[in-house]
Amino acid sequence: MQRSRAFFLLVMNTATTTSCLKRFDPHIDSRDIVKYVITGQVIKGEQIQHINISKTAALSDPWYEYKVPVTGCSVIIIDNKGNMYSAWDMQDGNYNVYIPENYINIGSAFKVAIFIANEGNEEVGEQIVSDYDTIQECADVDSVYYKVDQLPSPDPYTIIRGLRFYCDINAKNSDCRNFRWEATETWEYHAIFADDYSRKVCWTTGRIKDIFTLSTRNLSKNKFEGYPFHFVDNYSSQRLMYGYSLLIQQYSLSDPAYQYWENIRINNVDLGGMYEKQPLRIKGIMYNVSDTSRQVLGFFGASDMKSKRIFVKKVSDLIIKYLDCEPVQLPGKPANKCIDCLSAGGANVKPDFWPY
Amino acid sequence: MKNVHITLILLLFTATSIIAQQTERFIKCHVKAVPFSEFCKTISDQSSVKIYFNEEWVLNLKVTLDNDSITATEAVREALKGTGLSVSAWNGNLVVMPGEPLMAALPDYNFRKEIKIAAEDNSESITSSEERYMEGRKGDIPLTLIIGFKNGPFSGGKAKISGRILDGETGAPIYSATIYISETHTGAVSDINGFVSLMLKPGNYIATFEYLGYEKRKYQLNVLSDGDFAVSMNKSMIQMTEVVVYGDRQMNMRSKDPGLDKMSIKAIRELPMMMGERDILKVSATLPGIVSVGEGSAGLNVRGGGSDQNAFYINKIPVYNTSHLFGFFPAFNSDIIKDFSIYKGHIPAQYGGHLSSVFNIVTRQGNRKHFTAKGGISPITGNLVIEGPLKKDTCSIMLSARSSYSDWILKKVKDPDIRNSSAGFNDFSGGITYDVLKTQLSLFAYHSSDRFRLAEFNSYQYANNGMSASAGHRFGSSVRAELSLIGSQYTFSTVDKQEESSAFEHAYKMEHYETRLDFKHSISEKNSLEYGLSSILYKLDRGKVLPYGENSYHKKVELGTEQGLESAVYISDMYDVLPWLNLTAGFRYALYMPIGPEAVYNYQPGAAIDIINITDTLTFSGNKPIRKYFQPDLRIAINIKTDDNGSVKLAFNQMHQNLFMLNTTTAIAPNTQWKLADYHLLPSTSKQYSAGVFRTFAEYGLEGSAEIFYKQTRNFPEFKDGADFLNNPLVETAVLQGDQTAWGLEFFMKRSVRKLEGWLSYTYSRSKIKVDGGEEWNRINGGETYPANFDIPHSLNLVMNYHVTRRVIFATIITYQKGKPVTYPVSVYYVNNLPVLDYSKRNAYRIPDYFRTDLSVTIEGNLRKKKPLHSSVIMSLYNATGRPNPYSVFYRTENGSIRSYRYAVIGVPIFTVTWLFKLGNYAAE
Repeated sequence: MQRSRAFFLLVMNTATTTSCLKRFDPHIDSRDIVKYVITGQVIKGEQIQHINISKTAALSDPWYEYKVPVTGCSVIIIDNKGNMYSAWDMQDGNYNVYIPENYINIGSAFKVAIFIANEGNEEVGEQIVSDYDTIQECADVDSVYYKVDQLPSPDPYTIIRGLRFYCDINAKNSDCRNFRWEATETWEYHAIFADDYSRKVCWTTGRIKDIFTLSTRNLSKNKFEGYPFHFVDNYSSQRLMYGYSLLIQQYSLSDPAYQYWENIRINNVDLGGMYEKQPLRIKGIMYNVSDTSRQVLGFFGASDMKSKRIFVKKVSDLIIKYLDCEPVQLPGKPANKCIDCLSAGGANVKPDFWPY
Repeated sequence: MKNVHITLILLLFTATSIIAQQTERFIKCHVKAVPFSEFCKTISDQSSVKIYFNEEWVLNLKVTLDNDSITATEAVREALKGTGLSVSAWNGNLVVMPGEPLMAALPDYNFRKEIKIAAEDNSESITSSEERYMEGRKGDIPLTLIIGFKNGPFSGGKAKISGRILDGETGAPIYSATIYISETHTGAVSDINGFVSLMLKPGNYIATFEYLGYEKRKYQLNVLSDGDFAVSMNKSMIQMTEVVVYGDRQMNMRSKDPGLDKMSIKAIRELPMMMGERDILKVSATLPGIVSVGEGSAGLNVRGGGSDQNAFYINKIPVYNTSHLFGFFPAFNSDIIKDFSIYKGHIPAQYGGHLSSVFNIVTRQGNRKHFTAKGGISPITGNLVIEGPLKKDTCSIMLSARSSYSDWILKKVKDPDIRNSSAGFNDFSGGITYDVLKTQLSLFAYHSSDRFRLAEFNSYQYANNGMSASAGHRFGSSVRAELSLIGSQYTFSTVDKQEESSAFEHAYKMEHYETRLDFKHSISEKNSLEYGLSSILYKLDRGKVLPYGENSYHKKVELGTEQGLESAVYISDMYDVLPWLNLTAGFRYALYMPIGPEAVYNYQPGAAIDIINITDTLTFSGNKPIRKYFQPDLRIAINIKTDDNGSVKLAFNQMHQNLFMLNTTTAIAPNTQWKLADYHLLPSTSKQYSAGVFRTFAEYGLEGSAEIFYKQTRNFPEFKDGADFLNNPLVETAVLQGDQTAWGLEFFMKRSVRKLEGWLSYTYSRSKIKVDGGEEWNRINGGETYPANFDIPHSLNLVMNYHVTRRVIFATIITYQKGKPVTYPVSVYYVNNLPVLDYSKRNAYRIPDYFRTDLSVTIEGNLRKKKPLHSSVIMSLYNATGRPNPYSVFYRTENGSIRSYRYAVIGVPIFTVTWLFKLGNYAAE
């Protein structure tokens, strides 16, 4: 629905060739109260569970891209049988918790209790707790695949070609109807003018920074074909040149967890335009017990997870056009990625899942 | 008549000096009940004075005179007493003609008269306004209207007079024309069928008839007893008056309705246009208290009310979607509109059902004299109106069609998705009017439809259909009754096949059936009464959401059907308590019942209205009332005349609304559902207090007003965040009802009948909402008051027309608005390494201000008299400064970083040329 509205807009925009979407920075005087942000989840199949505690940063703060970690807190995960697991403070806002594998089962529920360290004070500060979140069984990833696709570009004479990745779900026998995916890409790239092989071939890995959620509650079957992921073009990087691998991790979500992620997705992507809506008020399941008027952001959940990896090498009907290299290191310029692949941020160690 | 005319004119041309001796000689005259002609012969024999007159005028006149010494002039004057005819001396002879005697000096008549006489024989087809256009303006000659007959009936010392005001050319009744009796300082305004009622003591009066864009007419009213009259008025050939936003100069002074704005459709013709389409709704947004939701989007906010709080009627047919192409264009062909009124302060008791305003469109009736056509072509659409008599002077027909002729603009776009899209719209209407003496019958049908298909992803279709049939009759001279049957239907259907697995289709239908009987009763000259009853049956089929295509797994959702019955009686009395004080008191009593068949859920008291809290189900069988809502509305207006140029008006207005739009966005989407109030969703109610000062500054041609209002609404529905009306049949789980408060100040200054004319309006208005049910789950914005999406404090509009010549007109619209409220993010945090925004309190900020300048030039075709077709070209430049006014400002996360955007619907100037034509010459109608 939302996506279709976005298209509406696109059409009306281009149809009249008069409307415009431009970058714009309104002046916002944001001195709202700083809020605590708790994120974390218990994932079935993993031994170490991660929790992160941070604070919000003003949007006008030029350093907002660096998180504001909160360290020194006491973090405990509690399950519905009364077992408690305490966390290590990693001193960077992360807290790690070891939960033995056999304590994480389908139907188990977990919550978190956090005692915020009072800065410069021995006393225990504010206390934050979450609701219990129950692990739903996650169906297997049915299939992950790609199709050659094209995108319109701002220049009407250019069409951007590339691949779009999809997954199918076929969870007929599963009760869990809410899904969230994380997509992680790894690709091989070359510094074509490198002298040394160790500086010539590298691999790099990154998360696709989008939120992918789906609920089949409004569908008659717990089945979906062609859930779209990201698009990889054929010209702006070497991604599709030598080898590209995509890992899809599929998480099962409870209804409150799905609602949380879906709302975040809408607020991050689907606002604005002709049929703009109010941003959603995101209600997590975290409470500040010490001061109930203080909102706590973030979400603590418990999920089952299944994954699938695919590998792409040479797509027959897609020509790769990436050409952007200076053969020599020019003085004063940053390290040349055509001479040294490590300078582009990857590693020259082949990942163990790499097929060749 | 014609013969006399010629005689007269010839006579005038031979007259070079005035010789009065003959006519002033004393004669003897002794006649008893002789015909006028014989009487004249008697005089001529004695004085050798010739008397010119038209036989028809004096057909039944019997003269009795007994005088030994009287001048010929005096004798004839005596004989003519009470007939409305007068006698004048010319060239030693006497001329009898209607109206006041001729002046001693020659009136400033045009020498072209001679040519006119010569052309008379072959110019039968020339309409009277063309004729006047050719001749120039005539002198102001009062004619006499004789009402009733000698010794006829009248009661209470006063005669009941009923009149009809018609267009002299097309024969159509004129709505809202005024009659003003200077002797008594009283007047009346004609109703939709052109009827006026007056109460006057027998005697002679000067009556002035006025209507915007028409020549003022003065008549000597000779009231003998109860009786009828008909007056035809002619369009003013001074083009300037055609561009005034309605407003009969006496309107502001005499109208008893504060907050009524009238617009003449001619006001809109010359204004700059967006894509060459005239849009009465957008022009109405330049009036005080009315703001448009935004460019290219449907919806108006009147006095701080929501866009579903406005009622739109076209010849009594309610129109539930008033726009084409998502809101870019109006769903009405402006060529058929005769009258467009907006009520926003005092809403007459005959209207109910929408809180903020009533937009009432009355279409023209077909030309009753001859067939004619007009039309136009803009870059998007073509339109044509054909009208004419089925039976001359009594029965006429009008047909109109408008259609987008091509979606060529889409084909120009390089993007394949858009190139493969298509869009189109059209609207048709037709009306037949039968009008004989006291009975009027009319039938009107209206259709508009839109379709839009986006490549292979989505398609939308929506349509309005409506029909109204009215029969009106006048009983005696003081009561008029009208029975109307109205049917209207609004439908839309959507197919969404963006994702094959969740593709769906949905069709929605809403029907409105109405019967109403309205009476108008003039009890005395100071007191008129309106009363009536109406009943509306709403039938909504919210439709089924069905999977689309073989590969869709979309769940079938039945959104259900619902019915509601709204029955109302009303009575309203307008009473001149004192010469300077007028009181209008109306009372409307409605009973609204949602009716079965329906299953209603009960929810656990004190808990959130949610599926999980359903306790039991109440089943209502067919046509059984589910709940009864009694809705008394009081509508009071007081009009105090402070002096000849000013008045103060006070009003109190209560309204109820039983029909809502399920919409979480500011603009009205083409697939917005309407929903009836039901067991859980309560009707909204509002109270409005308003006060205004109205003044005219005649010497500058200015009229001004200042009004304040305060409006309080209860049970204003606000939808919860993320409300989904497609997958959830239970609307009550997605809605919360709260209070809305709006207040404001409106200034309006208008200049008319000048070379440079137009209006300036400024509105300060606020609109705040509070939804606080006491618990977290029934609060919005934490229960705190927040500004509505349409809270626009400052709005300034300037509309100007400059008539360079009769053929060239420049026009401009300048609009400034304070930016709309918006919820901005104030801080950022990370979830799974993705930045997420934390938003401010609802609508705590505002987007940048809106400013736009539009320009247009209208060039009329030549002024030649004999031509088959007259055409005009209008060049418009929309948003001349090219300012990209932000429609929305929003944030998005892209590749892990936050970007803020500003979206402007129209970011550049748009130039369009529109060609309009009509059969006949410049002045043809």
